[in-house]
Amino acid sequence: MEQGVAGPQGLPRKNAVLRALQSLSPKAWVGLCLVLFAVFVACAAPWLAPHKPDAQDLLNMLLPPMWSANGNLDFPLGTDGLGQCILSRAIYGTRVAIVVAVSAATGAMLLGVVMAMLAGYFGGWVDRIIGYVVDLWMSFPPVVLSLVLMVGLGTGVVNVILAIVLVDWTRFCRVVRSDVIVVRRRQYVAAARLLGFGHWKTMWREILPAVGPLIITLFTLEMGVAVIVEAILSFVGLSVSAGTVAWGVMIADSRDYLHEAPWGMLTPVFCIFLLVLGCNALGDGLRESLDPALREREKEQG
Amino acid sequence: MIRFEHVSLSARRASGQVDLLRDISFTVPQGRILGLVGESGAGKSMVGRLIAGLLPEGFRITQGHIFLGDTELTGMPPAQRAALLGRKLVFIPQEPLTALNPLMTIGESFAEQLEIIGMARPRRHAEMLRRLEEMELPQPAEILQRYPHQLSGGQCQRVLIAMAFAAEPALIVADEPTTALDVVTQANVMRILARRQKANGTSIILITHDLVMASHVCDEMVVLYAGEVVESGDARTILAQPLHPYTQSLSGSTPKLAGEAKRLPTLEGFMPGLGDLAVIAGCRFQERCGIGDARCGQRRIELQQMDGGRAVRCLKVGVPLGDAAGSVAADTQGHGEQRAGQADDSPLLRVRNLSLTYRSSGGLFSWGSRANKALDDVSFEVYRGECVGIVGESGSGKSSIARSIVGMHGECEGAIDVDGISVIGARGEALEQLRRTVQIIFQDPHSALNPRRSVFRLLTQGFEALPPRARHEMAAQLEGKVAELMGDIRLPPSMLGRYPSEMSGGQKQRVNIGRGVFLAPKLLVADEIVSGLDMSVQAQILNLLKELAARYGIAVVLISHDLAVVRYLCQRVVVMYEGRAVEQGPVDEVFLRPRHEYTRRLLAAVPSGDPGKPWPVAV
Repeated sequence: MEQGVAGPQGLPRKNAVLRALQSLSPKAWVGLCLVLFAVFVACAAPWLAPHKPDAQDLLNMLLPPMWSANGNLDFPLGTDGLGQCILSRAIYGTRVAIVVAVSAATGAMLLGVVMAMLAGYFGGWVDRIIGYVVDLWMSFPPVVLSLVLMVGLGTGVVNVILAIVLVDWTRFCRVVRSDVIVVRRRQYVAAARLLGFGHWKTMWREILPAVGPLIITLFTLEMGVAVIVEAILSFVGLSVSAGTVAWGVMIADSRDYLHEAPWGMLTPVFCIFLLVLGCNALGDGLRESLDPALREREKEQG
Repeated sequence: MIRFEHVSLSARRASGQVDLLRDISFTVPQGRILGLVGESGAGKSMVGRLIAGLLPEGFRITQGHIFLGDTELTGMPPAQRAALLGRKLVFIPQEPLTALNPLMTIGESFAEQLEIIGMARPRRHAEMLRRLEEMELPQPAEILQRYPHQLSGGQCQRVLIAMAFAAEPALIVADEPTTALDVVTQANVMRILARRQKANGTSIILITHDLVMASHVCDEMVVLYAGEVVESGDARTILAQPLHPYTQSLSGSTPKLAGEAKRLPTLEGFMPGLGDLAVIAGCRFQERCGIGDARCGQRRIELQQMDGGRAVRCLKVGVPLGDAAGSVAADTQGHGEQRAGQADDSPLLRVRNLSLTYRSSGGLFSWGSRANKALDDVSFEVYRGECVGIVGESGSGKSSIARSIVGMHGECEGAIDVDGISVIGARGEALEQLRRTVQIIFQDPHSALNPRRSVFRLLTQGFEALPPRARHEMAAQLEGKVAELMGDIRLPPSMLGRYPSEMSGGQKQRVNIGRGVFLAPKLLVADEIVSGLDMSVQAQILNLLKELAARYGIAVVLISHDLAVVRYLCQRVVVMYEGRAVEQGPVDEVFLRPRHEYTRRLLAAVPSGDPGKPWPVAV
């Protein structure tokens, strides 16, 4: 929006992004690779998957993975009770997981950060009202709240996202608000106000960049949480519509054959584990490399 | 009592070993005070850590010996060494508030200290009372019940001194014990410290950046520069006739309360850092020295013994510095011009009957609220292009005035007019106008500069604040304006891309000032802008502010606890005490013929540049 000043300041900003990338810790790189891999799999699912996710091969039900005695090379990770390829279903399941993770985290971030900015910046009665709402909201058990919301909203990916956003925005709001309050009291914010910055400009230019690293960190962590919540909801059958493949649905389906075909459950559980691990590692690694206080301390020690 | 013999401390770097301290030798006889003087980075605090045996990782003693009495400290097993601390060897820290455990009462902390030195429990209470009484603390029994945050900084420091003497140590190392305190408290604390030292015959090492203060309190003085002793000898003689060019510059760049007001000579450049020390073959001060020649840079300069037990590390002893003799004359002239021709003008800032009351609600179960008067009926004026100082100790309401003038205290009563704009209750257009007329420079550049903005974006913050149309008009000349401003604040253009974390304190303060003058304000409020800076940097900043104000005709309200700084920069002064303006008038008149009792106390508390004058006296 501020075209007039884009020229000279563009350069240092680009450097900052570059520096941030260079300073990424190994942990963050591992997380980033895992998450990017999941995104790639989700996008390229039709080409990666050997079968259609809902194609049934009734002759090959409950096949074990290909490396065991009666495995079949056509079904690398075996099949489930309906003769569907587990690998293909896991690959297609990535799509729901990624879509839900990214959009739910984005939604929760937007709602939570806006509320946190208003509460932390203006303080007073604005802060009090938002604080009461958050307290009230957080006193509901989150799983129950999301179940109630899903029952009310009905199934479907969009509704899952909405439910997660409505449950989890408070997490953002709480944490970011306390950071905004700290930054708000810094002298440079007062200095900006006294230079003539309006409220909006002060929030956007002075406070948001300071809490940005925290928001990015929370965002990646929230992606992991969203993956798990979506899996829980689809496990109890309250998430995606019947025909859609999701990891939670796969776990639910495999319960009946748990003893004969444990791989049916292990595969989606492993997928969830990897993606959530990736998100958490990325979040943790980013926190370390983006937090200037932590970085400076390291520099001093080094 | 303690003896350093040719001690060198080295740090291992990627490039090899670097001598952080080189060839340090001094002796503190029984019952004497040694001043260890230097600016930040000189290595003076490292000497304290050497004595305590608490070296940071990667540092080790490569040469020399340290003796405490007859025992050698170097090479002593760590456990034995730790046993000395708190008993034979006691430290008084810089930040009294952080040195006391906030969760324990003063009595509990003190008793713990007495337990360490092995005093029996029944005797402790009486001992604590006696020690606190010696420190002239009123109602010592009550103080023992309090928590550190309930005491003032001066009281905390006295408690720590009492605790230090309770161990009856052979040596006390006081690391900047009064830097965090204001002048009156500093004078009192130093006076008490000196008296106890005389009574007990303790030896003290006083680590400080304040050459003048040290010369009054100490018997001997050692001046450190970049890890080397550059000058040592009798404290008063060093202040009266400094021999080393560094000591001369340091002494010269300290503003004085008496004598003619001339431009402060400044030291350009920086003290060499760890990385630079490895490549400097000769004199470590040569780069900033006005009189050095090729010979100085060739090899290490040895400490030369002079008459009267003095020693100097310089080849050019006796060569006069002759710094900036021309500019002195030019500057005093400008000073006089500034003062004339403003009497007939209407005041730029008019403060009338300003009062400010803080109300703190009493909590859930108490009725009403407590009122705390920060400002009480303060009136004064500032004329165009004039510099007015506001002095007083901490808590006197100086900063409240600064904040009220820029409109940060909407709740104050009275009237503040700046150039025809009423500050209290200003909104909309008037507020916008006000922001362009008055600017404030905050005390601590580190917190006043957004760490995520580069120098360019910091300096142009005022531009960003303009309405879109004004910004459009200015956009074309922006780069030129910034370049000019960088010249004004004496920063090389190559620093435009730097971030605050990559700059020194003095450079940050320059950017802070540059940001304030970017929109060409008519009034600049400077809130303690040089406290916390080294003397030589302080002189640079003061000269810069003086120049900018004169060049652009900006009026300055300077808030400071340092009377000498106010005298150097200002034409008139307002003395604040407990929220009231107790005295105001032309600087020379107020400082030479103070009428109010408090002004006299304040003046008496400042250590004089004349070593013959007794200090600290009771104030």
